[in-house]
Parts: sequence; structure tokens; C-alpha cells
Amino acid sequence: MTFLVDANVVIYSAIESPYRAPCLELLSAIARGRAPGRLSTAILEEVWHVERSGRAGDLTGLTSRAYTAFTPLLPVTDTTFSMALSLDAPALGTNDRLHAAVCHEHSIDSIVTADADFDGVSGLRRVDPLDEPALRTLLGVS
Amino acid sequence: MLGERLQILVSTDQRRRLEVEAKRRGTSVGSLVREAIDTRYGAVTEDERTRAVAEIAAMRGTFLDLDALEHLVDEERLAVVPQSRR
Repeated sequence: MTFLVDANVVIYSAIESPYRAPCLELLSAIARGRAPGRLSTAILEEVWHVERSGRAGDLTGLTSRAYTAFTPLLPVTDTTFSMALSLDAPALGTNDRLHAAVCHEHSIDSIVTADADFDGVSGLRRVDPLDEPALRTLLGVS
Repeated sequence: MLGERLQILVSTDQRRRLEVEAKRRGTSVGSLVREAIDTRYGAVTEDERTRAVAEIAAMRGTFLDLDALEHLVDEERLAVVPQSRR
């Protein structure tokens, strides 16, 4: 089943931390066509902002490489925006609402993210990159 | 190079929409279908995708915890990008 990949997964793939190995494993599986992970335009824009801010070190080229790995991106459309406006998810900020709405619009029921704010979103299952069993299930690896 | 012939069935409404859009853009229905294939399924090879991930793996960014990362994203609309990074 298709799943959405959040910005923190892409960013932590480029930064040394406990998240890095599982995030890179996920990106690698997606790039090889072994896992149906997708990015949206709104998510990649967040990565782009972090890259350009320089506050997470030198991430020059991260956004363009992530684009290459994930294209085509899922769009944020008029329908997405309408769904985001009516989303019942008090814990989510505006951008995260767009991400959740992209999932609903494309019948995606899982999002890989370290952000626990997605835990309470109806119809959406959060998979934490550090949750190895859940990640392996998502990747279809036993 | 266009060397492959693809014959597909579409609904009357799909054909009408393609023809209206083709006329609006001054292009052909075939061109729209080719564009839709590239847009939906991408024009990037598996080698290019895996190379991109390998290049990400070679990066050495500075760790920000999740709160700091979320804060950075949230303040985007207020922040001024430094001149050197424009």
C-alpha cells in the first residue's frame, strides 16, 4: 500500500542521528521501486526551506536529490485544500493538515514520520522511523 | 524518439476533455497523453533515483531535534532568507 513520507524523514536521511539508518533504508527501498512511498509538493517545500535556512548544516542539493528520488510528487490541489480545511485534527498545524489531506485524497492510510502529532488523525496510521517492526512491515520485509 | 504505438480505450468524456484541453493549448491529444505519462509516472530512471539517495547518504548535516525542526518549518513564513542563500 502506498504511504506518504514526511519531511523529517528526508532531512534525517542527510543528518547523523539514530533516525538516519532507517530513513535511508526507506529512501533506498523507494528509489529501487521496492516500496511505494510518495512525497508531496508541500512536504518537499519544507525540506527546501530547511536546506536553504542553513540551520541544519550544509544540506546543499538535498531537495533536488529528494525530488529525483521521488518524482512525480503528489500535488496539493484545490481538492486537497478543501479537505484540509474540513479535517478534524486539532493537534495539526496548517502544513501538516495539507499532508494529511493529501493522504485522504489519494487513499493513503500511512505516513512515515517522527512527528507524533499525526497519531491522532482519523484514517491515518503513523509509522515512526525508529519503529523497526512497523517499518519492516511497511517495506514488506520479514 | 517516438517509436512505440499504444492503443487505448477511453470514455467519451475523457476523450472530450482531452480534445478541449488540446485545443486550448494548441497541441495534440497524443502530446497531452505523453505529458500525462511523464507527469504521473516520472521520467527518472531507477539508477538516477538510487544515485540521488546515495548522494543524500553522503551528506553530513547538523542534527536538530524534532521540536527544533518543526519550529524551523513553522517559522518559514516569518523568516527572511539570508541574502547569500537567495
